[in-house]
This record gives sequence, structure tokens and C-alpha cells, in this order.
Amino acid sequence: MDVKFLVAGDRAVSVEFGKEICLEVNTKVRMLEEKLKESPIEGVVEVVPTYCSLIVHYRPEVVRYDGLVEALKDRLEHMQAVAVWKKIVKEVPVLYGGETGPDLEYCAQLEQISVEELIRKHSEHIYYVYMLGFAPGHPYMARFEEPYSFKRRESPRVKIPARSVVVQQNLSDLIPFEQPCGWNIIGSTPLDICNYEKEDPFLLNAGDWVKHIPVTKEEYDRIRRDVENGTYQVKSYELKENA
Amino acid sequence: MGIVVENGGILTTVQDEGRFGYQAYGVSTSGAMDSHAFHIANILVGNDMTEGALEMTFIGPTLRFTCDNIIAVTGGDLTPMLDGAPLPMYRAVLVKEGQKLSFAGARNGCRGYIAFAGGLDIPLVMGSKSTLLRNNLGGVKGRKLEKGDEIAFTSPKTELPGMEKRVVPADVYPEKEIVLRVVLGPQDDEFTENGVRSFFWNSGVITNEFDRMGCRIEREPIEHKGDGNINTDGISLGSIQVPANGKPIIMLADRQSTGGYAKIGTVISVDLPKIAQSQPGFKVRFIQVSLDLAQSLYVRELEQMKALDRMLNG
Repeated sequence: MDVKFLVAGDRAVSVEFGKEICLEVNTKVRMLEEKLKESPIEGVVEVVPTYCSLIVHYRPEVVRYDGLVEALKDRLEHMQAVAVWKKIVKEVPVLYGGETGPDLEYCAQLEQISVEELIRKHSEHIYYVYMLGFAPGHPYMARFEEPYSFKRRESPRVKIPARSVVVQQNLSDLIPFEQPCGWNIIGSTPLDICNYEKEDPFLLNAGDWVKHIPVTKEEYDRIRRDVENGTYQVKSYELKENA
Repeated sequence: MGIVVENGGILTTVQDEGRFGYQAYGVSTSGAMDSHAFHIANILVGNDMTEGALEMTFIGPTLRFTCDNIIAVTGGDLTPMLDGAPLPMYRAVLVKEGQKLSFAGARNGCRGYIAFAGGLDIPLVMGSKSTLLRNNLGGVKGRKLEKGDEIAFTSPKTELPGMEKRVVPADVYPEKEIVLRVVLGPQDDEFTENGVRSFFWNSGVITNEFDRMGCRIEREPIEHKGDGNINTDGISLGSIQVPANGKPIIMLADRQSTGGYAKIGTVISVDLPKIAQSQPGFKVRFIQVSLDLAQSLYVRELEQMKALDRMLNG
């Protein structure tokens, strides 16, 4: 395996598995992350998975660079054993279009397909959560079939609302808090992407899969009420594959 | 009982060691910008050195004490006054109920710390008291202190063993120019040989775009091999990212946990307080050191801090 250890200062090292954003490389990142949970290295404070690398934040008063790299190499050698991948799918209800999805029709025009077809492409395939970043709970998601051809908007919006569903090409994100955004907004989810009040504040983990479920305005409002009352259970299941 | 904020100052927030374990979810660590001064303040008042304290910027707050407690003020000299008389810094001091702590303006450095014996009664959010302004997280309602805020003490003290010994020499900060030691990486290979040479050879100037997230430096552009973009990866404290325009940004306490710009090097941990105490207009020069030296310096400083803690607090 072609793994690089990149020095990120005196308290972090980035373990890089490749340069290409793809499932194969990201899976290795996740494998090392899982291996480190199973077999922790003393002195490691936390790890952060990203597209192609895992940054390891550590305490040099406990383990110095050379010792850490040696321990990481050992975990890398033995991480195949944790490669039993569960494909956890979380269902994310989406109200497409309307006031909270102002770019839906525009996107369909760009794509020269019907609104229904645009929604089908977004909700039929599952999206993979490569990583979280930018804001608390903010996922970077991609699908592997039927990408759209449109990219970002020419001029970004200064503010878009929390819970917006935004898309470009094969990518889709869920916006946890109000923020500036240059992507097109095709819908809104009633779910909280991040809620500090909850014991587990985050809807998604890196490595999850997301299935968008189209809902009506009535269903959206009902789910939102349940979320606010703390009675909504996010639907989640393991996808078994033949392969 | 604790303190009532009569004036919040420019930017006063609750900070501790930082929020760890949530960067994988996109949550910034935050924490004290000058960890050296922050640790000393806590040790002087007998706290765990990572206990939450107040971090103030340029112009400190005005605080009225509603009960007695021992405090220590460290970091930048913002001219602390107790009931209008100068208050010694880097020393444990008993403040009485009804007394007023205020600050008359920055004389040296720009970030000060006030530690309170027994700590501040601030709820832990994801394991930390640190305030993250961008996401309205932690501290006092996720924001800077404002007039009328009240913060209770957890367990105030009126005496600590060896009060007269609870004093250390004050840190003194450079006035116009700082030299920052840097370990190369993680993406120094994204820059041309000329780019790396120029990074160390030419100095820059700190711009006004300098806050708890990062410090932008104006200088001759640093040359990339490509466009300066990388696959978004993790960012460590002190990382020097260089976007397409070639102007470096040093990533500080409130930095995002991940980012997509190439990072030429990382400021070593023991030099981070120098940035925290600098101001726009200061000249900045980078020099390269080995990772081994950087780690040795960091470990040595931590040991010195622990030795001080043992000496004063047993």
C-alpha cells in the first residue's frame, strides 16, 4: 500500500492513502480510523478522516513522531481484519422545490430534464458521506451514478437557511446552520443535521450512506414537529449486498 | 455568586484547553490562543492548568465581584486595575466582594487571561467550556461577554497555600516584529523550490484579517507548482495554508478542522503565543527548524509548566 506520512507540525501527522477522491481510497482512511478505535495508540488525542487521508492529532509528551509512525505502520499492516464493512443507510426526508427549494426548476432546466426526473436521480441513488467538515455536522456527500452536469451557481448566495439540500454534479450536501453557499438549493430536510442540545448532536458520520426520501409539505411539517419534540427516530438500516 | 459584567470589552470569551474529539464532525477545537499565559494563570490560582478562564483582547472587560475569590491576570499587559489602582499581573491576588476589576488598555501584547480559583461555572458543551463564536457554541451562550452577564464561581477561595510565592516573572512580547519557527509540511511539495525559498527568505506583515480563526499575512506571493488547491484534508493548529493568491494564512484556535488549500508548513507549538500577542502591522519572518527540535521544545515547556504546578500546588 502506498501510504505517506505527512508532518503537520509537532502535534499532528497526516496519513495519506492516495490523491484521488474515490471510494477505494476513502475506505482505507475509514479502515485505519476503525483500526485505531479497536487498537488505540497511547498519546493520540483524536483523528479526523477526510477524502484521502486521516490526520492524527497526538501528544508528543506521550509519543514522539518516530514512535507514532511505527505504531501507525503496525495498525496499517493489520487493518484488513476490520474490513468487514457495514453499509449503514440513513433515510433523510426531503421536501423538494417550493420556497425552501428555490432552484429545483432552474436545475431541471439546466439539466434539460423534468423536475420529476431530477428528483428521481437525487432520491433513487444513495449518497456516500466521504467526510464531515466546514461546519459542525456538515457532510460532504457524493453519489456514484447519473451525476448532474451543472456545477455551482455563478454568484454564491450570502446566506442560505439551515437544513437546505444543495447539489452540484455528483455531489449533495445538507446545510446544518445558516451559511453562505454557491450551490443550488433543491429542497429542505425536516431533520436537524446538528443539534448541540442532543447527547449525540450529529445526524451523520463519515462513512454513512444517505437515501433521500421525497416527502409532501404535510409530511415535512409533521416530521419537523416530531424532531422539535424530540420524538423523531431517524430511519437507518444496513444494506446487504450480494457481492 | 461570582462576577457581573459591567462592560464586556472588545472581545472577552471563556476559553479552556479546547474542545477535542469532535473535529471529525467538523467542530473547531477553539481554546486559549496563548496557551502559555493561560496555563500560568490557572496554576497561580491553584486550578488544573486546563480550567476555563477568560480570554480578553486589547481592551479588557469591567467585572464586579459579588463574592471574594483569588484571581490571576496573565498574558498581554492590558493594564489591569482593581478599584482604580494598578493590579499586579502574574500573581495570585485576593479580590473582595464588591471590588471592580477593569483594564485601561493594551501596553504590551494584546491577549490577556483572567483565571479564577476553583473555576467558572460554565456548562461543558462537548466536553469543553471554550467559546466558538462562529458556531455560537460553548462559553456564555456561545458569544462574547456582554454587559449584564453574570458568571458564577464553582468553588471560590479566600486563601491558597503559600500565597506570597504565587508569583512568576511576566512574559514580555515583541513590539514590532516576530520570528516564527516552522516545521515544513504537510504539503511543502505542492510549492516550487523558489516558493519554499522565498517563504523563508522574505518577511511579511500581519494584516487586519487576524482573528481567533487565522492570521493573514501580506507579502510577496509564494509560488505553487499547481493552483494551490488540494483534496480537503485535516488542519492542525499553526498550519500555514497558502491559497491561490500565494499569501499565507496561519490557522489558529478557531480554525476549521479541515480545508482545501495547500499547507507549506506549521508554526511550532511553543511559538504560537507569539502570534496570539501580535497585532496587525507587525513584521513576520519564518525560519525552518526540525520536527525533533520542535517536539523537544514543546515537551520541555510542558515539563517546566508541570514543575511550576508541582511547586505551587503540590
